Amino acid sequence: MNKLEQLRQEAVEKITEVKNLNGLNDLRVLYLGKKGPVQELMKAMKDLPKEEKPAFGQKVNELKKELSQFIEERKEALAKLEMEAKIEKEKIDITLPGRVPELGTMHPLNLVRQELEDLFIGLGYQVIEGDDIVDDLYCFERANIPKDHPARDMQDSLYINPERLLRTHTTAIQMVVLEQSAPDKAIKVVCPGKVYRRDDDDATHSHQFMQMEGLVIGEHVTLADLKGTLEFAAKKLFGDERKVRFRPSFFPFTEPSVEVDVSCHICGGKGCPTCKGTGWIEVLGAGEVHPNVLKMAGYDPEKWNGFAFGIGIERMAMLKYGIDDIRHFYTNDKRFTSTFKRFE
Amino acid sequence: MRTSRKWLSQYMDISDLSTQEIADKITAAGFEVEGIECASAGTNLTIGYVETCEMHPDSDHLHCCTVNVGDEVLNIVCGAPNVAAGQKVIVALNGAKLPGGEIKKGVIRGQESNGMICSLLELGVDPKSLTDYQKAGIEELPADAPVGHKDPRAYLGLDDEILEIGLTPNRNDCLSQFNLALEIGAILGKEVKLPEYAEAANIGGETTLKISSETPKCPQFIGKIVRNVTIKESPKWMKECLAASGVKSINNVVDISNIVMLETGQPMHFYDIDAIPNTEITVKEGFSEGYTALDGIEYQLLPEDIVITNSGKPIGIGGIMGGDDSKILDTTKGLILESASFSHVQIRNTARRLSLATEASVHYQKGIEPTAAQKAIDRATQLLIEYADATGIEETVKCGDNGYTPVTIDCTADAINFRLGTDFSQEEVVEVFAKLNFEPTVNGEIITCHIPAHRTDMEGVHDLSEEVIRMIGYDRLPSTLPYMEMTEGKLNPAQRATRVTRDFFISQGLQDCITYTLVSTEKMENAVLGVKEAIQLATPMSEERRYIRTSILPSLLDVVSYNHARSIKDCNVFELSDVAGTEGAKQHLAFVLSGSLQQTRWAGYNLPADFYTAKGLIEALFDKLGIVSQRVTYKENTTDTVHFHPYRSAEILIGKKIVGYVGQIHPQYGQATDCKNVIMAELDMSELIDVKKSKIKFAPVSKYPSVSRDLAFVVDRNLPVAKIIEAMTRQGKVNKENVIKNIEVFDVYQGEHVKHNEKSVALALTFQSDNHTLKDDEINTVFQNIRTELEKKFNAQLRG
Repeated sequence: MNKLEQLRQEAVEKITEVKNLNGLNDLRVLYLGKKGPVQELMKAMKDLPKEEKPAFGQKVNELKKELSQFIEERKEALAKLEMEAKIEKEKIDITLPGRVPELGTMHPLNLVRQELEDLFIGLGYQVIEGDDIVDDLYCFERANIPKDHPARDMQDSLYINPERLLRTHTTAIQMVVLEQSAPDKAIKVVCPGKVYRRDDDDATHSHQFMQMEGLVIGEHVTLADLKGTLEFAAKKLFGDERKVRFRPSFFPFTEPSVEVDVSCHICGGKGCPTCKGTGWIEVLGAGEVHPNVLKMAGYDPEKWNGFAFGIGIERMAMLKYGIDDIRHFYTNDKRFTSTFKRFE
Repeated sequence: MRTSRKWLSQYMDISDLSTQEIADKITAAGFEVEGIECASAGTNLTIGYVETCEMHPDSDHLHCCTVNVGDEVLNIVCGAPNVAAGQKVIVALNGAKLPGGEIKKGVIRGQESNGMICSLLELGVDPKSLTDYQKAGIEELPADAPVGHKDPRAYLGLDDEILEIGLTPNRNDCLSQFNLALEIGAILGKEVKLPEYAEAANIGGETTLKISSETPKCPQFIGKIVRNVTIKESPKWMKECLAASGVKSINNVVDISNIVMLETGQPMHFYDIDAIPNTEITVKEGFSEGYTALDGIEYQLLPEDIVITNSGKPIGIGGIMGGDDSKILDTTKGLILESASFSHVQIRNTARRLSLATEASVHYQKGIEPTAAQKAIDRATQLLIEYADATGIEETVKCGDNGYTPVTIDCTADAINFRLGTDFSQEEVVEVFAKLNFEPTVNGEIITCHIPAHRTDMEGVHDLSEEVIRMIGYDRLPSTLPYMEMTEGKLNPAQRATRVTRDFFISQGLQDCITYTLVSTEKMENAVLGVKEAIQLATPMSEERRYIRTSILPSLLDVVSYNHARSIKDCNVFELSDVAGTEGAKQHLAFVLSGSLQQTRWAGYNLPADFYTAKGLIEALFDKLGIVSQRVTYKENTTDTVHFHPYRSAEILIGKKIVGYVGQIHPQYGQATDCKNVIMAELDMSELIDVKKSKIKFAPVSKYPSVSRDLAFVVDRNLPVAKIIEAMTRQGKVNKENVIKNIEVFDVYQGEHVKHNEKSVALALTFQSDNHTLKDDEINTVFQNIRTELEKKFNAQLRG
């Protein structure tokens, strides 16, 4: 009996002290293996008197079970320790930078253009583009710009020949849309594109820039509808607090014509350097389509009317991002364009 | 257009409004006030009398003066060359704030100085309204100027406030102060009283003046002889008005011609009657000779210019400038008055060619209302009588007519509201028309407007609707949305493809660019995949901007060299843009890679900008656009070896058509463009969009395991790997099913372990069947077939 207890104590002690899984396995083999002391005790049982056998057998079995269980527990604990030791060795410096994928950037003008396109697509507008080279007819004549207007001088616009030129405004696209839709189809389009003027490039002028014009023609589309539409757009672009103000202006292809101001998104209308202290920022020109324009395209201006508006994409981008020089857009300096990485 | 409080005060009572209030109101009604400036500035000024003036003992140009300013006598050092004892002058006392700074007591080269004697320039007066003499020295005041006067600016009439108004092109009638005053009066709700001068020129007896016009470019010419005038100084009001408009006062007669132009908008010209041979005037074209205008400069006339002639000799360039010989001098005794209409297009062309943007030519170019010529001759006659003692006035002579017929427009309040989306009453509408002097008459619903002659912009109801809303105010315009049938807003397939392409390149680390459409001849000549034929502008702005580009790459290379020059080594850029030629416009896509596309140096991670990276981008893009790879071939580049490295570039074909180029820049072109070793590509985006796309269709994923095997072959160095892959693919048959699912190249080796004319190509093959688990012997058969085929075809040796 003493022997058994002695064996138990010795085994527990060794199993407790063992430091690794291999050692533990050795101990398992040593104590519980076929040639181990527990097995020996089992063998020795046959020499015991018959009446002692059951009690002894039970004791040995208990010891066997106890040691097995203990070894299992130790095994789990040691495995855990070993895993811990192993992964600790795999420690990395997580403060080193990640492999940041080099992300490209969208050109700020395309960014603004897409934002505007999407805004109006959401309102049910189609996006119509056209060629940069247009007929004088669509650029000027149909837009109610008279033959002797300075813009129609070969010296003032970028003509290719007396009939063809680089469009000076995206109004040229609208005039084509009007002709294609006349005499009895409603129109709801935005027309983005590059336009060209004979200007020397400086901080505020560029011989090439981008515009987007909108055109809505229906059987009763009013100047008030223009205001509502632009108010909606202004809130989307510059925030819900924005207000829209119309000021009378002049364009040959609209009557009435208006300049549209939006309450300053920087100062909220209190007055700041961006709005030159006025609380308002001029963002675009617009108006009710001139009846001559409708007539020339083939609509009956007594029955059809509508509005048009024209947005300068550069101006929008400059306002939105606080850019001070229009030439930045066409230099494509990576340090400039990489500013426009973020989702807004 | 400039006007001022003083101008306006002559015609209406504006004493209850500040200049800023006036500016705000007229801006809201369409007359944008771009600035308000004072005619002069300065505080703590007075008028002084120069009692003594000695040369400064220690300077060759300074003077030491004693100046009596009423309550004391000051020592002032003055540098003006014209200062002299006995003058009345403007003195800025110590502490005075002038546009140039504050005046402080000081010692100048040892002499005490208490204040400054001022020139008008130093008070911030517009130099345009000053003579050279005035600009060069201190202002000499009249002998009766009151010494000690506390406000010399008011004394000189320089306390006016000037409004700079930006006129819209439809309202050039307001280049006339009279018309502008009527407009401002209507906006402010003020009664406007203009001088009464109608028919003032209907006086005088028989005349010797004969006028004829031989050119349609001068449809109307009104003339008048005034035999006797006295040349003297102009009255103060006239000088002030001229100053407010930035016009120099010369003498009463010249000033009258200018003031009449400012008042009526009609340029006039006065000829010295004694300086021309006779009184027969003919307007002609067809001169090509040098001609000296009254500014003393000789100008070269061309046959299309409008010329005023006498005895067959030019005496003026119509609408631009009179001649030197017949200009008004202090000795002038009598005048011929000219008030004429000229072709504004011709005046624009002549003025531009001669760089002669005179006040008159600017007025003509902007258009003058038809009745202005008569108004001008009436007003000028009136002023000459009043301020130049005009006598010997002969009757007015007219050649041609003004072609004016009065305009009336009928409208209803409903029609105006329909256009605007408002609900103004008939009374409100009529009130607006009355304010604008449209003399509205009402007959039931119908309102009839009688449009004044100067409102040439009024054509129909649409114009009236604008008058109504701008006068009532845009703050009364409601805000609504169009009430129309529902429409679907969307991009068309080409627009969507463009966006997908842009987003794809951005996601791969490339920067979206926009460069100019207009390029130099050199760039045009270096087009890659250029559309045919290049178009040039009729009159380019510069050599740099002569052609409409037919290809994007030359411009994009500029972007790369620009960035490289700024130490941005990894410059990876792309652009999507239209290009155009005589055969039409196309959309192109171009990109340039340099350095690395992706790189993290400490982690040894690098995606270099090389041919394969570029080709991979194109392959991935084609995948995204739905262009099946079987239709695409990359051929050795034999068609553009000027811009591309002939051995490191490819033609990209869809079917048999070249749709693009990709490859390394030719070393020579790279040197020329400062873009050494860059990888570039230009593709015809329009073609890519037009390719019939494969439809996305679900194919069941095979339930059976796939097997991978690697293979390496030694082949001839020049054998394209694509041929090996193509040959392999054809050997994959197991029971009529091609079980080769994928072939991936993972190594191409040339070097010491193979012969110099050979290379080793290592490939990983993936086998899988859709209907059973592949057995080893099936794979081995395929393997063996591949080996045999490659041996037979390319003499390829299986490696190790």
